[in-house]
Amino acid sequence: MAAVPIRSNLSLRGSSRLISEFFEYAVNSILFQRGIYPPEDFKVVRKYGISMLVTVDEEVKTYIRKIISQLHRWTCGGKIQKVALVITNKDSGEDLERWQFNVEILQKDSPTSIENPAQDETRIQKEVQALIRQITATVTFLPQLEGRCTFNVLVYADRDSEVPTDWVDSDPRLIKNAEQVQLRSFSTNMHKIDCQVAYRFDP
Amino acid sequence: MDVSSNLSYIPKFSTPTKKRPLVYPNSPITPLHQQALLGKASRSAKKSPTKASSNFVRGSPKLDVVSSDWSLSTSVSSPRAKHHCSNHSDRFIPSRQNSANAFVSNQKHELSAEYNESVAEACGLDLNTRILAFKPDAPESKKPVDLRAQYNRPQKPVVSQTKRKFATTPERVLDAPGIVDDYYLNLLDWSSLNAVAIALERNVYVWNADSGDVGGIAETDESTYVAGVKWSQDGTFLSVGLGNGLVEIYDVESQKKLRTMAGHQSRVGVLAWDRHILSSGSRSGAIHHHDVRIAQHKVGELLGHESEVCGLAWRSDGLQLASGGNDNLVQIWDARSSIPKFTKTNHTAAVKAVAWCPWQSNLLATGGGTMDKKIHFWNAATGSRVNTVDAGSQVTSLTWSPQLKEIISTHGFPDNNLSVWSYGTTGITKQVDIPAHDSRVLYSALSPDGRILSTAASDENLKFWRVNDSETKKRTGIFSKAGPANMTIR
Repeated sequence: MAAVPIRSNLSLRGSSRLISEFFEYAVNSILFQRGIYPPEDFKVVRKYGISMLVTVDEEVKTYIRKIISQLHRWTCGGKIQKVALVITNKDSGEDLERWQFNVEILQKDSPTSIENPAQDETRIQKEVQALIRQITATVTFLPQLEGRCTFNVLVYADRDSEVPTDWVDSDPRLIKNAEQVQLRSFSTNMHKIDCQVAYRFDP
Repeated sequence: MDVSSNLSYIPKFSTPTKKRPLVYPNSPITPLHQQALLGKASRSAKKSPTKASSNFVRGSPKLDVVSSDWSLSTSVSSPRAKHHCSNHSDRFIPSRQNSANAFVSNQKHELSAEYNESVAEACGLDLNTRILAFKPDAPESKKPVDLRAQYNRPQKPVVSQTKRKFATTPERVLDAPGIVDDYYLNLLDWSSLNAVAIALERNVYVWNADSGDVGGIAETDESTYVAGVKWSQDGTFLSVGLGNGLVEIYDVESQKKLRTMAGHQSRVGVLAWDRHILSSGSRSGAIHHHDVRIAQHKVGELLGHESEVCGLAWRSDGLQLASGGNDNLVQIWDARSSIPKFTKTNHTAAVKAVAWCPWQSNLLATGGGTMDKKIHFWNAATGSRVNTVDAGSQVTSLTWSPQLKEIISTHGFPDNNLSVWSYGTTGITKQVDIPAHDSRVLYSALSPDGRILSTAASDENLKFWRVNDSETKKRTGIFSKAGPANMTIR
């Protein structure tokens, strides 16, 4: 198990870092599990006490990094409400699948100290582990993605947040005729993340 | 004078008038001021476009004028506001902008803020939220991904050697003229010293696989024939079973007969060595143990079979002997016992093929004749049958591969083939069928290095197959100097 440095107190900054790190791994996992990129582009790393797959393709890596670093900035400012990863068919432009992570800020300003920080770390890790496992397990029920697919990341940010130039306003890109599955959640003492996946359900 | 005084007056009056505009509280707005003010107004209009613009249109006529101006109308921004000002219409084609629609749109315009709020509330959206998308496109996938191929991988084959290639042509063919076509005889054996003994009617020839030399070692009386040959384990002695029931032992070095052992009433078709003990199976169904070192050679007699014994094999440790007979029985004997430990009646035809597994000492394979076609696998410790395969044709011999987890069977009609089977923990699977001879494959023997199987058939060919070799390319070794690839034994 990867050793996580034990902090006496999880500050907002620390919690944000944890959250954005989680997003990075979650995005990588989804890209691998849903076959957006070929499996040989991924390598196994040990994280959250489980084997995770992260891309080794430089282009994809920097693309994800760019998104994550901006997410991190917003999370630090507490400006973020939701993050969604939308998988789209490249040819038809149809949105096929939508992974939504709801970010709930439990306490914005007052970082209270935790009685047992080490225990809290392991609890978070366990919860994240369970969520990642669940993402992995979704391949068993999610429909096969047909054709070449690509993905987009949407962010529900506060209206007053600063927006860099490469982020533009968008519609929510909800899936039509969708089935929704609520996945697990995890929480730090600052944030609570819960996850759901919506996919096209064509009987 | 007056004029001059008047003239002198003028500057006096003019100076205060010049200052006046600066002092006047309600000075008229200069165009410059006006523009600056409008700029402010338009900026505030940007912040809340709907309310502000409608206020301007109604509120001050001055601003109304300005709003119709091109440069500033853009700041009012709503396309509807533009429509409001334009006045192009046709007599026949009613202009939508000017008709009732325009009114509705205006009304909507006014209400839009409240309307938006209510809609947003109904949809559960938060007006304070913006949905932002990361604009750059995600990098292209290098190649299409088919998850089906990824997850529906064919199961790993039971035996990883499935893919190995088999040499389907004999490495060498020798003529063996006059070989007797009799299922119950055993006329071929390969010694640990790399010499192949083959019996052709009344003669026994030894072909040296190293040098390719052929020499006759034994010749019987005209009244009889050779029924079985078997090398001793060290390869220095050759035992020969005769049609008249005699068993002879030859020294391969001096090519001399060492002794003749009598005892059987009928032909001795099968022989098996365990160090100094030679066991011989006879047509009568009796199996004799001969201690070849002593004068009173007969040290044991096993009377289990009621018909001709045609399969006989000692386990490599010498603790058990397996025999197969024309009475369809498989019997397993303990070395020091004269009653069978197990008698197996599963075969429905004569059992000639009997082979102990070299890597699992308890495992015995036996193959049945034409009516049976089965290969049974036995646990010789418990007597239980551990596996069975239907070979599809008469089983004439069985040979375990010492290196690979495989067993080779030779067959008769219809294909006269060799079959290689993998013997794994999950079962037995056929690896390959190799059509071998023109008639049934009667005899087989494995080379001392375990890689090459020699087979002989009544088509008078002695063929060598590199079947146990995972490398198919020909290598020098067992046939290093063995003479031409095509030669006659006698």
